[in-house]
Amino acid sequence: MGSTTITRRTALAGAFGAVTAAGLAACASTPGPVAAGGPAGSKASKRRVSGTLTFAFWGGSDGETKGFQEVKERFEAQNPGTTIVLKTLPYTGFFSSVDRGIVSNTAPDVFRVDYTSIGKYISHGVLLDVTPYFSRSETEAFLPAFWSAVKYEGRAWGVPHQTDTSAVVFSRKAFEQAGITSVPDRLEDAWSWDEFSAVSTRLRKALPASKYPFAYDWTAAGAYRWSSFVYQAGGSLLDADLAGPAIPSAASRKALDFTKGFFEKKWVPANNTIKTTVYSDNFFLNQTVAMTFLGDFLVPEIADKANGYQGGEWGTTFLPRDKAAAADLGGNAIVAWKGTSNPDLAAAFLKFLVSEDAMKRFCELATELPTLQSLAGQTLDYQTRPDAMKVFTTQATTITDTVVKETTVPGFATISTTLQDQLELGLKGGDSDTTLRAIASGIRQAVAS
Amino acid sequence: MTTHPLRVPAPRKARTPFRIRATTSLAASGFLLPNVILLALFTLFPLVYAFVISFQSLDSLGWTTWAGFGNYVTMFTDPVFWQSMANTGVFTLFTVPVGMALGLAIAVLLNGVLPGRAVFRSIIFLPLVVSGVATGVLGAWMFDQNNGFIDKMLQAVGLPSIDWQSNGAWALTAIILVTLWQRVGFDMLIYLAGLQGVDPAVQEAARVDGASGWQSFRYITLPLLGPSTFFLLIMNLIYSFQVFDTVWAMTRGGPGYSTTTIVSYAYRLAFDESGPSLLGYGAAVGVVIYLITLAVTAVQWRLNTRRELAEQGM
Repeated sequence: MGSTTITRRTALAGAFGAVTAAGLAACASTPGPVAAGGPAGSKASKRRVSGTLTFAFWGGSDGETKGFQEVKERFEAQNPGTTIVLKTLPYTGFFSSVDRGIVSNTAPDVFRVDYTSIGKYISHGVLLDVTPYFSRSETEAFLPAFWSAVKYEGRAWGVPHQTDTSAVVFSRKAFEQAGITSVPDRLEDAWSWDEFSAVSTRLRKALPASKYPFAYDWTAAGAYRWSSFVYQAGGSLLDADLAGPAIPSAASRKALDFTKGFFEKKWVPANNTIKTTVYSDNFFLNQTVAMTFLGDFLVPEIADKANGYQGGEWGTTFLPRDKAAAADLGGNAIVAWKGTSNPDLAAAFLKFLVSEDAMKRFCELATELPTLQSLAGQTLDYQTRPDAMKVFTTQATTITDTVVKETTVPGFATISTTLQDQLELGLKGGDSDTTLRAIASGIRQAVAS
Repeated sequence: MTTHPLRVPAPRKARTPFRIRATTSLAASGFLLPNVILLALFTLFPLVYAFVISFQSLDSLGWTTWAGFGNYVTMFTDPVFWQSMANTGVFTLFTVPVGMALGLAIAVLLNGVLPGRAVFRSIIFLPLVVSGVATGVLGAWMFDQNNGFIDKMLQAVGLPSIDWQSNGAWALTAIILVTLWQRVGFDMLIYLAGLQGVDPAVQEAARVDGASGWQSFRYITLPLLGPSTFFLLIMNLIYSFQVFDTVWAMTRGGPGYSTTTIVSYAYRLAFDESGPSLLGYGAAVGVVIYLITLAVTAVQWRLNTRRELAEQGM
């Protein structure tokens, strides 16, 4: 396990290198952004906007809320005569509220949507086509994979605002007690599945029966994060043209058997299931586990001195890898509702949200990762545990184009539901073949509908 | 014509003039109208609309296609639906009779001369005024199998800890226990009211005739509590059949589908954001819940009517 560090610039340049290449290839296979009423970027230079619009988002953390508040104030200051009404909602019920608004014609003008759900809104045709508002150079400023995440049939239906991914957070004390003296600090030295198994076995032996080596972040809507193991094993969920399932396969079988072993070997708490009410960060915070898989947006919660982790020093390392390294696509896009009465203002606000300064500031406050190429090469001034954020940033380089393409297909919300239901049964002793066939059936229905 | 010796004919009322009757009816209708409108708007219309939706394939963004009986056909071949029905049956079986028996026992205890009985009554009734979701969250904390109060307590007295959250049978047990804790206060309250309506002279007469305490309770008090029992039976059956908040807050229907009740299944189908957003199918499950509840109530009502008629010797 090496100790050499890589610079953030190196990491992020490579970060999205493969993704960029693959993204460009994807762009080449689809028509460029051509507006219905004119060429691409026909409204990109539109300057003066005025009026009021509502922006709905879920208050994931104090940093996010503060970030959006700052953006609103700066936008209003730069565009006199505009008012952005922020509508902060809890995550639970957020999409139901937006959906009801769309059906009843009272939806917010602009709203936040995660990459796993954006396909649903695009396929229902309820989003504002923002293609005319972005020039080619503006679209090329994004990391291609993320711009492709908001594109469908050659048109852009929102802006990729930020991303996040998972990594491993661990207790230094628990590792020392188990005799684990070194932890990968370079992506290329990330634990192989075998090494990860060895670490888990050592922790299992050192920990009392009531404590566990780790917890995984696949609870509820996070069930799709299980697919990271499929990608690491060299497989994928969908076939190359995204038209059907790529499972059952040797890779998916290997991934399922490996993850079922987490429960059989008591590496994870028995209630670290998909439908549990205890999330992976809770298991770590209440010191039931020695390490946990979690998203970077939870770093402030873990680092909080008063209510965060109270088990001593904690560190961060990379996700294990098998044939390849792979991580999940987290994060969110910002979209505008097709029925907005002021599309120009909505588009202007979207453009402002993804301007370099606004995105940088937001990501720093919210402890999240940017989607602009220019920022990927910069050092962001993270206020909370920049050392941990370095690991997450580097881990994000393993979000492959395949991951992005599959996570953003229109039927992914349905695929996610299938994964929840079937993995809940399959991980706790269900027959692997049955589980994989059921997942494949769910994927088939999702992409067909 | 013969007249019953104890039945005195009521004096004939003077006939009210038509104009006054019409005005009175109009005024009564005026007072009733807001309620009728509200009832139609918020009860009848949603009910009819739910029936309509149950014949559609409808998603959360309003995409609709006519499904005919498709949702109902799917339901009857859906193993999760049947497991939810079975779970609801088990839950009902354990919460209704046990809850009523506990409520009756506590009511009898607190109906007597007991120091601080008002305080005890309040303590037992208190969980009922807490919302179901709050009770469920509290239950999830108490029955957390890693750090929960219940397992810690069991371990403190030398008993093994229990997998309250990862074992299906124990998870359902935890939900039943929390439900009983919440609902027993309601049962107690209704039985207390019933007990206080029992004429002490009847029990006194039984004692004079040599009835033991148990005989007095079994053959005098319990039958006189019939209306309370009937009311509680219907209410508890409906509550149990429609349980959702406690289940959702404690287990989300897991592990697997072992605590998925019929309403939590309908919710997951239609409204859970991590779920499939099948509003039409969810409505079809809702219609089935409605029909079953209606049938249970109708059967109970009929049985009670027969019992009352039998008691009156008719």
